[in-house]
Amino acid sequence: MVLQTIITGLSIGSIYALMAVGYSLVFSVLNFSNFAHGAIITLGAYIAWAIMVQFFRVPFLPALLLSILGAGILAFLNERIAYSTLRRRRAPSLYLMISAMGVAIALQNLLYATIGAKLYALPPVFAQDSFEVGGATISRMDLFAFVFSVVAIGLLHCCLMYTKVGTAIRAASHDMEMVSVLGVNLDVLVAVLFLIAGGLGGMAGVFMGVKYMVYPSMGWITNKAYIGAVIGGLGSLPGAIVGGLLLGLLEALVSVTTIGSVQLSTYRDVFSFGILSILLIVRPTGLFGRMVEEKL
Amino acid sequence: MAYAQAIFTNSAIYIIAAMGLAIFTGYTGLFSLGHAAFMAAGAYTAAILTYFYHWPLLPALLLGMIVSVLVSLVVGYPTLRVKLRSDYLAIATLGFGEALKVILENLDLTQGARGLPGIQKLAGPINTAVWMVLTIWVCRNFLRSTYGRKIIAIGQDPVAAEMIGIRLLPNQMLSLGFSAALAGLSGGLLAHYVTFIQPAIFSMDLSSLLTAGVVCGGMGSLTGPIVATALFVVVPELFRGLALWRLVLYGVLLVVIMNLRPKGLYGHEELNLGNLPKLFLIIGLTVGLTIGAGIYNDYAPEWGTVPGLLLAAVVGLMVTVAMNYAGRGLARLLRPVLPHLGATWYRGFNRIVRLFEGLFSPRERTAGTAGAVAPRPQANVAAAKPLLSIRGLRKHFGGVIAVDGVDLDVWPGQIVGLIGPNGSGKTTVFNLTSGVYPIDSGAVTFEGRALAGQPPTSIVLGGISRTFQNIRLFSSMTVLENVQTALHTAGDYGLLAAFVQWPWTVRPTEERLRARAMELLGVVELQAFADRVAGTLPYGLQRKLEIARALALQPKLLLLDEPAAGMNPQESLDLVELIKRIHERMQLTVVLIEHHMDVVMNLCDRIAVLNFGKKIAEGTPDEIQSNPLVLEAYLGQKVEYAPQG
Repeated sequence: MVLQTIITGLSIGSIYALMAVGYSLVFSVLNFSNFAHGAIITLGAYIAWAIMVQFFRVPFLPALLLSILGAGILAFLNERIAYSTLRRRRAPSLYLMISAMGVAIALQNLLYATIGAKLYALPPVFAQDSFEVGGATISRMDLFAFVFSVVAIGLLHCCLMYTKVGTAIRAASHDMEMVSVLGVNLDVLVAVLFLIAGGLGGMAGVFMGVKYMVYPSMGWITNKAYIGAVIGGLGSLPGAIVGGLLLGLLEALVSVTTIGSVQLSTYRDVFSFGILSILLIVRPTGLFGRMVEEKL
Repeated sequence: MAYAQAIFTNSAIYIIAAMGLAIFTGYTGLFSLGHAAFMAAGAYTAAILTYFYHWPLLPALLLGMIVSVLVSLVVGYPTLRVKLRSDYLAIATLGFGEALKVILENLDLTQGARGLPGIQKLAGPINTAVWMVLTIWVCRNFLRSTYGRKIIAIGQDPVAAEMIGIRLLPNQMLSLGFSAALAGLSGGLLAHYVTFIQPAIFSMDLSSLLTAGVVCGGMGSLTGPIVATALFVVVPELFRGLALWRLVLYGVLLVVIMNLRPKGLYGHEELNLGNLPKLFLIIGLTVGLTIGAGIYNDYAPEWGTVPGLLLAAVVGLMVTVAMNYAGRGLARLLRPVLPHLGATWYRGFNRIVRLFEGLFSPRERTAGTAGAVAPRPQANVAAAKPLLSIRGLRKHFGGVIAVDGVDLDVWPGQIVGLIGPNGSGKTTVFNLTSGVYPIDSGAVTFEGRALAGQPPTSIVLGGISRTFQNIRLFSSMTVLENVQTALHTAGDYGLLAAFVQWPWTVRPTEERLRARAMELLGVVELQAFADRVAGTLPYGLQRKLEIARALALQPKLLLLDEPAAGMNPQESLDLVELIKRIHERMQLTVVLIEHHMDVVMNLCDRIAVLNFGKKIAEGTPDEIQSNPLVLEAYLGQKVEYAPQG
């Protein structure tokens, strides 16, 4: 029972983490909440649906890779269209947030207006869906998603730590202006940033689509990822991972708890929101966050 | 007719909520994605009271507003505590929206997702209109009060606002609460107008509508969002067949406006008679959209959606453009009289207000304006103790030690210069003294009280005010408003008075503040620019304005950070005179950081020299000029110094 709860929690938590990492990555450098991340995730899932179900019969792995690529490119375009002008103008982060919200609203409703509100299923990936370990059922897809997420985040970590671009991104998260003065092309750096964030988002979208369904408002699940990122500490990558996994685990735990006759699973979202509020009171910077002192 | 009434009532209800968001996002600069949820809180509270308990509308609405305010404060408090991080608030309000939906869907009292059908229809066009007018009036009053100015200041530059003693958290909470009250009112009216509510009504779509209204209308304007929100309610009603595309349009508009015209339709101005072209553009937009919609509705069924839409767009656009040019032409024709037209209207209005005022206000209350320039009564402990005493001050940023054990005493009435090469830690000393950064070790004592650990606002209000190296004015406010804002501690009326603007309490105070602000502008010779927008002033005058704003706090100690930066020799000379003047007239003690040596040598009684975070010399200007260590720090080698003249 406990083992089962942990497995459920980790499987949803790893998807939260995947989303939170992309969101946090953008936040750490550009210092604003990219609310369009959820829409990119949704579009990633729709790309997979289009090439796996609607138009072609592309098998899962190539479809996953294409979705990652497609979502990455969409995120890049999103930055070019909606943020780059504001970024160059050094607009207040409020403007960037509003612009991001605009993209989220437009894309989600574009899906409603064109493809419609219908729910679509992605074909099952594994013939036998689950196996048992020590009395707990593990879905093969969840396991695959978990392993794939871990590998992706691990690759990202290596990229950030050991490559030139990664070093530039880390430096930019401390001081973007300085990095630009040192001769790094900020446009390229930001483009790479959004490609990575979008790619991770696309991956999360496909996993979500397989696990549940594909529909226009599925991107709202990123709200949880945002909360996870704040729990971990806005702008911190390890924070985003730990925050996402922790939130997944806590939600799984709450879902199987009942108090009296009330099943707490109904109130799972209220619980997540409550955690956020309490954490901000107890530890405003999150678990791994750093406080930024404004320079005068 | 009934249809027009319905559109009007809907617009009025959403305008009330949009006013709230205009205050919160437009003026305070904070992003909320949960205003639909605050509307829900008000709507459900009011509806439950009239539905189950048969309360009359008014008390139900009021209780709905109260609940909405309480809820917003509970959501806002944890996030607003984190200074200068509006992202937390946006995420928390987003999360709250989802959480409230879950709660409403599962409570018995709210009848779950089915909602509450058959609420009494207690709101109609007339009482809704009254509420709307009342709301607009209250918002306008609020923004013109000391409370409103504090909030606008925070929206424009939170750091500068703190540095004139405005506390962020309580004022942001006030803005949030006020804004949520209006959302609650709007929700309550909505429930009693449509007579049926369910959780799905108060979705993200509704928040999007409000955000789009405020952003497109102009953040920093009240009339702009009114116009835009009304348009956003009317237009989709006209284009019935395209309902799904409505939200796509809002989203695209948000992106386009932010990127191309962040100030929206009206920016920091209001709709007025003096600006005919804009007025005509808006009328043109409305008429064009209406005609376009009419064409679309007539032809689309025959011709198909796309050609219908195209024709509608072409005709609508032509009408809009024609109206736009008509407005410009009329404005050109009326150019000689136009400014007077607006002014006359304004004067007439003011005369009526004054007449009204005369009926209520006893004469002696308006009389007696205390002189701002009059020196603050000084306790006669002078010269016995230093006013500001710094001992062993240290601060490091990462591995860099910015200030390394600095000692400094500033005696009352002195002008002390702080000089040193770039990066020697001068500004950091100011930042530590004014509480911007926490002190690593050492002590700063002001009038015998230790400053360490005090928040910047109480240090400022305790008598130390400052200016900034890179000017930080409230750039969209006028010159006069910048100074008025800093006079916030002199506002002696309550919040309720601010909402209603009682002519017998608020007006005299406001007039006194205005007179004081003018007096302070007189000190820095900026009276002629009182109504200019601060951001449009030339650089040198902006510096003077910053000094006037700092003086408004009646400081005992004034910290000037490179006041002569970027000034030519003549301007620096004027500045020296100005500082001498305020020093004498207001009995100020001054510490200034400056690179212009003529300014420093002319003004200062004593000079302290910093290099690499350490004080390397202190003394009179003559002593400093001949100090070999100082010369070495500035020139890198020892040279013979030959005094001039």
